[in-house]
Amino acid sequence: MFRQKDQVVIIRFLFLSVILGAMTASAVGSFSIPAIDLLSGSLTELQRTVWIEIRLPRVILSGLVGASLGLSGAALQGLFRNPLADPGLIGVSAGAALGAAVVIVLTSDLFIPSSLELFLLPMAGIIGASMVTLLLFIFSKGFGYQGVTYLLLIGIAVNAIASVGIGILTYISTDSELRSLTFWTMGSFGGVTWSVLMPAMFLMILSFFFMLPARRTLDILQLGEIEAYRLGVDVKKVKYRVIFSSAAAVGASVAISGMIGFVGLVVPHLARLIGGVNHNYLLPASAALGAFIMISADVLARMVMQPAELPIGLITSAIGSPFFLWLIFRMKKRDY
Amino acid sequence: MTIEAVSIDVEIDGKLLLANASLEIVPGEILALVGPNGAGKSTLLRTLAGDLKPTSGNVFYDSRNLNQLSVRERAIPRSVMSQTQPMIFDFTAREVLQMGWLHADHNYYNEYFESAVDNLACACEIEQLMEQKFNTLSGGEQKFIHFARSLLQLWAPDDLKDNRYLLLDEPVAGLDMGRELHMLNVIKEHAKYMGVLIILHDLNLVARFADSVLLLEEGQILKAGPPHAVFTEHIISNVYKVPVMITQDPLTIRYY
Repeated sequence: MFRQKDQVVIIRFLFLSVILGAMTASAVGSFSIPAIDLLSGSLTELQRTVWIEIRLPRVILSGLVGASLGLSGAALQGLFRNPLADPGLIGVSAGAALGAAVVIVLTSDLFIPSSLELFLLPMAGIIGASMVTLLLFIFSKGFGYQGVTYLLLIGIAVNAIASVGIGILTYISTDSELRSLTFWTMGSFGGVTWSVLMPAMFLMILSFFFMLPARRTLDILQLGEIEAYRLGVDVKKVKYRVIFSSAAAVGASVAISGMIGFVGLVVPHLARLIGGVNHNYLLPASAALGAFIMISADVLARMVMQPAELPIGLITSAIGSPFFLWLIFRMKKRDY
Repeated sequence: MTIEAVSIDVEIDGKLLLANASLEIVPGEILALVGPNGAGKSTLLRTLAGDLKPTSGNVFYDSRNLNQLSVRERAIPRSVMSQTQPMIFDFTAREVLQMGWLHADHNYYNEYFESAVDNLACACEIEQLMEQKFNTLSGGEQKFIHFARSLLQLWAPDDLKDNRYLLLDEPVAGLDMGRELHMLNVIKEHAKYMGVLIILHDLNLVARFADSVLLLEEGQILKAGPPHAVFTEHIISNVYKVPVMITQDPLTIRYY
């Protein structure tokens, strides 16, 4: 089995891959920036502008969103003791989307200072995501094993409610609002600028640091809530910590890059396959693996149909949904 | 210094599960809780563990009221072993055992960690299971891992003389005869320096291992005292509604 030492090596390797992946991703695209020029610093003025103003924020955003989704997926699966918990499937992303859509459509008529406005979108996403996660927790309480299916059913309901909300908002939105709405239900990292990225980046990184201290208690929680109490874990505190930090991470990412499905489901399972299930390893590994996968998927999205772009959500769902089916199949065999 | 329950009542949904129960768990002794199904044994244990709040009465850990102790302060002197939920993810047996270590958030005792784990694994004879996935182990093997985990929770450095208490809810249920005796011997060994409360159904085992017995019936403590005083043919056949005969067996085990 996996020893702690191996796990440290795996985590280091994953983080190294993220850095290398990010460098490669910032070099490739319809406008080529040779990696050698990038490293030696001999870029032309145009290359530098493209790199700093377009590529870099995009790569950073995709990495952060991947890390957010991977990390939240791992933590939510641990908290709910449910291998199928995924921010998208259980409706957290939809809640965030609804929150953000409300802001996009309803606040354009109001006058809001632009510095505040940049924070408003991720904050609305976070509020939407927190509300859904809290709701899930209240509803799924005391359902024990049925909880696995129950949680997904609630997710379907929440997703439906959110899509009604977004549908209504689409109806009353203007043309330009509509365009940003549709573009963003599919998910995309395109057109991100530093000014949009900064506040969300701040919130996401904050949520990572808030989440990580829960890693040992998430392990203990696997014994069940009562056992965790008996082992001296303040269960309520852990719950709130995980719920709010995952909601913040997911909310902020959905608010600026749209709904990107299945990453939160697939990444933690891959990370478990690579190096083990204890959260001390799983949380950082899922964050790094999520970042790496998302950066790669975004490169794919940019390269496949050059100069056009595929929505990133399409790619992740294309890979993730068969995986989801496989997971259900495997669970059925195990008879949870 | 003991764990003490002072006239506790537990009422859930209008049903009185426990009435006016008092008891004391003394370090160095094994106290066995016996009684028919539904007598309130688990309720009593869970109240002592702090899972349930008594409707009236108080529980004291070394004279400190349980209500005033934080979750963490409760976990240090006492550990609980009862029916557990299955694990969802593929933790190794070692990882499950290590969850009992309370000192992971500070580093004072790091140097003792490995040896504490290894000693318990050795005492419970589970060394060869340690790297296996917990979910692939048999029910009895899983019980031993949880048992070792609850002992690890009570680990203390040798120079610390604070009291430790172990609360066990049917720890040997589902174990084979050999394993059953093995676990009870380990418990007996640890009871030299900690207080043990154990719920057991097998009265023979109680007679053999317990220092004192508490007989519960319908939420009331019917009789308390050393095994030979509680286990009389009259009392046992009345409570369990079966005729019994108590004899002395060659190994000085009391039989019924």
